Amino acid sequence: MQADPTRPDPDALLAALRDAEPSSRGRLKVFLGMCPGVGKTYAMLCEAQRALHANGDVVVGVVETHGRAETSALIEGLEVIPRRKIEYGGTVLEEMDIDAVLARRPSLVLVDELAHTNAPGSRHPKRCQDVQELIEAGIHVFTTVNIQHLESQIDLVRQITGIHVREAVPDSVLDGANEIELVDLTPGALRERLADGKVYFGQRAEAAAANFFIEENLTALREMALRYTTERVNRDVQTQWRGPRGRVPKTNERLLVAVGPSPHSENLIRWTRRAATRLQCPWMAVSVETGREESATSSERVTQHLSLARRLGAETLTVGGTSVFNGILRAAKEHHATQIVVGKPDLRHWWQRLMAAWRLNSLVSASDDADVHMVRVPDSSEKTQPRNMSSHRVAKAVSTIEREMTEAAAAVAMTTLVGLWIMPHIGYQSIAMLYLLAVVFMALRLSRWPMLVTAALSAATWDFLFIPPRFTFYVAKVQDGMMLGMLFLVALVAGQMTSRLREQERLVRERERRTASLQRFTETLALAHEPHAAVGEALMQIENVIGAEAALFRRTNSAELAAEQAAGGRLHPDAKERAVAAWVYQQKQPAGHNTDTLPNAVATWFPLRTAAMTAGVLGVRPVPDRTLTLDERTLLNSLCSQLAIALEKEHFLAAIQQAELTEQSNRLHKTLLDSVSHELKTPLAILRTACESLQASATPQNVELIGEVAQANQRLQRVVDQLLDLTRLESGLLKPKLEWCDVRELCETATSSARLDSKRLHWHMDETLPFIKTDPAMLETALSNLLHNASAHSPPYTRIECNVAIVGGTLSFAVRDHGHGLPSGDEARIFEKFYRAPNAPAGGLGLGLSIVRGLARALNGNVEAANATEGAGAIFQLSLPVDTMTEVPDAMP
Amino acid sequence: MTPPRTILIIDDEVQIRRLLRLTLEGAGWAVKECAAGAVGLIEAAHQRPDVIILDLGLPEMDGLEVLRRLREWSSVPVLVLSVRDDETDKVAALDLGADDYLTKPFGAAELLARIRAIQRRILETVEEPIFRTGKLEVDLAARRVMVAGEEVRLTATEYALLHLLIKHAGKVVTQKKLLRDVWGPNSEEQSQYLRVYFTHLRKKVDPEGTGLIRTEPRIGYRLMTG
Repeated sequence: MQADPTRPDPDALLAALRDAEPSSRGRLKVFLGMCPGVGKTYAMLCEAQRALHANGDVVVGVVETHGRAETSALIEGLEVIPRRKIEYGGTVLEEMDIDAVLARRPSLVLVDELAHTNAPGSRHPKRCQDVQELIEAGIHVFTTVNIQHLESQIDLVRQITGIHVREAVPDSVLDGANEIELVDLTPGALRERLADGKVYFGQRAEAAAANFFIEENLTALREMALRYTTERVNRDVQTQWRGPRGRVPKTNERLLVAVGPSPHSENLIRWTRRAATRLQCPWMAVSVETGREESATSSERVTQHLSLARRLGAETLTVGGTSVFNGILRAAKEHHATQIVVGKPDLRHWWQRLMAAWRLNSLVSASDDADVHMVRVPDSSEKTQPRNMSSHRVAKAVSTIEREMTEAAAAVAMTTLVGLWIMPHIGYQSIAMLYLLAVVFMALRLSRWPMLVTAALSAATWDFLFIPPRFTFYVAKVQDGMMLGMLFLVALVAGQMTSRLREQERLVRERERRTASLQRFTETLALAHEPHAAVGEALMQIENVIGAEAALFRRTNSAELAAEQAAGGRLHPDAKERAVAAWVYQQKQPAGHNTDTLPNAVATWFPLRTAAMTAGVLGVRPVPDRTLTLDERTLLNSLCSQLAIALEKEHFLAAIQQAELTEQSNRLHKTLLDSVSHELKTPLAILRTACESLQASATPQNVELIGEVAQANQRLQRVVDQLLDLTRLESGLLKPKLEWCDVRELCETATSSARLDSKRLHWHMDETLPFIKTDPAMLETALSNLLHNASAHSPPYTRIECNVAIVGGTLSFAVRDHGHGLPSGDEARIFEKFYRAPNAPAGGLGLGLSIVRGLARALNGNVEAANATEGAGAIFQLSLPVDTMTEVPDAMP
Repeated sequence: MTPPRTILIIDDEVQIRRLLRLTLEGAGWAVKECAAGAVGLIEAAHQRPDVIILDLGLPEMDGLEVLRRLREWSSVPVLVLSVRDDETDKVAALDLGADDYLTKPFGAAELLARIRAIQRRILETVEEPIFRTGKLEVDLAARRVMVAGEEVRLTATEYALLHLLIKHAGKVVTQKKLLRDVWGPNSEEQSQYLRVYFTHLRKKVDPEGTGLIRTEPRIGYRLMTG
């Protein structure tokens, strides 16, 4: 396997993209210390005060002062968000109120003690998850953490100091931090501070110092903190030096760690994480499903290990394979791993050594050019206790073995009875075949260990009861001895083989079941005539396949989560569960029971994601209550994506239908408008042309009459134009077509189309106005309507002034007349359709100003009216945002 | 006396046809009418009119289609009539070879002026060396521009634009044509060039702002004559 050095790593590209994003994400700054008491909180508060003085919007989410006066003094002046009180087990615990912080939306929030574990009933089990959510919401965060709380450093800390740290922060949180500041103090200085009682409270300092603050521990922790910071700085330097593409791993290495149910897997995962950080390369954790029956406990542990790896930043993967080694090798090949990490096996017994040698040999020889690391695991005396062992499961396993053992004994006893009965007829040697038959039959029913017992029991019984000398285990003849050995071996092999066959068969059946249910599910969704019924049907299938209650909340057309659950599911969530569902929809990640977020919820909630959107949220609650197995989770994930795709399809179909309908109605509207426009304008055109021709050859008496006709025609023309303009505006058919225009020219055309006496109109504008980008026809119509309005509402021969200015990308026309002004209190109403001022002269529909407003809005602008402050009259101000251009573009010849 | 010049009207509105006939016959034209595009094409082939007035909104065969077929074999001056406010149709007609357009409602004087203008191309096959309109006087041979007796200096581009307008005096010249002829075929979308140059040109040749060069929004420019 040759890794192509030019192959772009998708993860690195994604990371580079994420970094390049101007990002609505907040920035995270971490104050890192080697242990409590070095002054992290102090350093953070100093920095916060600086930010506050630079007019930053800083609030305190949570800060522990431990009663230190100088620290409390620094909180002065900072707004403190009151903590949330959570009652748990009779005591009241105080936690940061994340909802209050989110609602307050400061630009920077201080969150002390990143590694803190929240009280049960909080949204997230860990404070670092709160911090992640704050950052996602675009709030900058300052936080503090000690080196020993870093997930990847936990076992190092234990090795060095012997202290097992329980509160851990995933490394990915610090990896995502924008800045890490190391707060450093020499061990001597720290011990002095301790002696002065500056760390913790008086008496506790003594006890703490004796146990933890010994010089060696402090030096070791300090080295870890320094080393961590150095590695981080090194990475930053490389990233900056290589530009955004520097995120592409330098070494092109890819680490793969094998994960199993053994508790040592945790150590392996942390080891790999550290190695990957040093090599600056991606890594993945792989677990193999062999199809062998595994206890629920061990598969639960595998799940836990994988999620630990995910938290530490690994890609996790479960593959199928006939054996663990097979699976690992295949995963390594498929994912181009260059280094494989496995645990150093237990070598206390000779057979363990033999097996290990054989397996490792085959691993090394089959791994081609990938390196194989064998990592020492701590002594088994240090083995952590198996966690969450559920007693009824163990009992169940034991009872199965007992039953099988009984069956095995019964089968051997039956065979013996038959053997005793027919021995006189066929001789004792043929009885061996009888036993063999029994063993093979039993192999179809029993598992490994009972099979072994059956084989041994058969051989022993045959020897004791049938081989002469009978009723002894002594074997006289050589061929009898051979027969005995062979019986045992054949029984053993047959047992092993049938049992393996059965396991394989079970695996195949399991897969088939999964595929079949997926297929049925897909068909249900695809073939249903009624979409809503299909979703109900699909929910029922999920419930049947998983053995759970399910509920679905769909996305509404306005891209929010529906308040009502979709019909079909048997799960009926209460308000609290709905809140979880809403959170899942917003954050696009699973939450609820058995996850890291809101684990107190009853059901587990999954977002139904597609590439384009989140189509809804699915809640699943296993009945009876249990943890979902890895298999079920995988199946559920596939079902979720199928459901998401189906919902998305449905959504898009509805959108297309809507669009078609709109398009159709628009077309109809346009046709109608065009023909009405034609029918109204043609007679008007004829009238006008006829009038002009008549005027040329009219007698003096007729001239006046013809003038009247022409004037009436003009008025009708204006009304028709206005009605058509307004209809177009309201139908939404009018879309601005922007082009560069000369303002001066626009004003001239507007004046002529307003049919205004040019002596009345006075323009005030700069000699050199820049070109503007706008829709000239729309702007001209708006302006001419404004001018016409001014002239209609002021006495003849009074001045109309128009001020044109372009300030800061806004073009404004202020038209001032010297008429009666606006009726007081009606300033807002004059832009309404068909509004006519009480003192308005006869004629006109009262549409002009509403057209102006419509046009202004279509051009993203606005129009306002007010009475003049000096003298009579009103001022209408039309303002539009415009692009301007003063100079001829360079490209122009 | 020369026989009266013939004009062919293709319009489906009886009243418009009658009105045009009255106005045009009063101005000394011989008028033929048709109500449909297909008949109009046959008439145009038979009668060989000097000018055609074509309505764009015809039933059955659309005015643009009539124009396209007509231009396959004839270069007769065509004036397009349109009631629509939609500029794209007008531009399409001009691009297809119409000589000018008129939007209803229109006045008789305007109609006659347009017809005179589009006819001029035929009459003045040889360009007169001196062009005069209003206070503007351009010596096309010497490339000299005078306004109210004073010589005005134009840049090469400004002169090229002015020259193009003079060649089509009284008629609209589309933005596309101006850009293509002056700047070359790759500049057809750069209408902001025109805005800038016409502002400069107007200041030089029409300092008093008499509306010598008229902007037809979204369509083009027109040099007013007479």
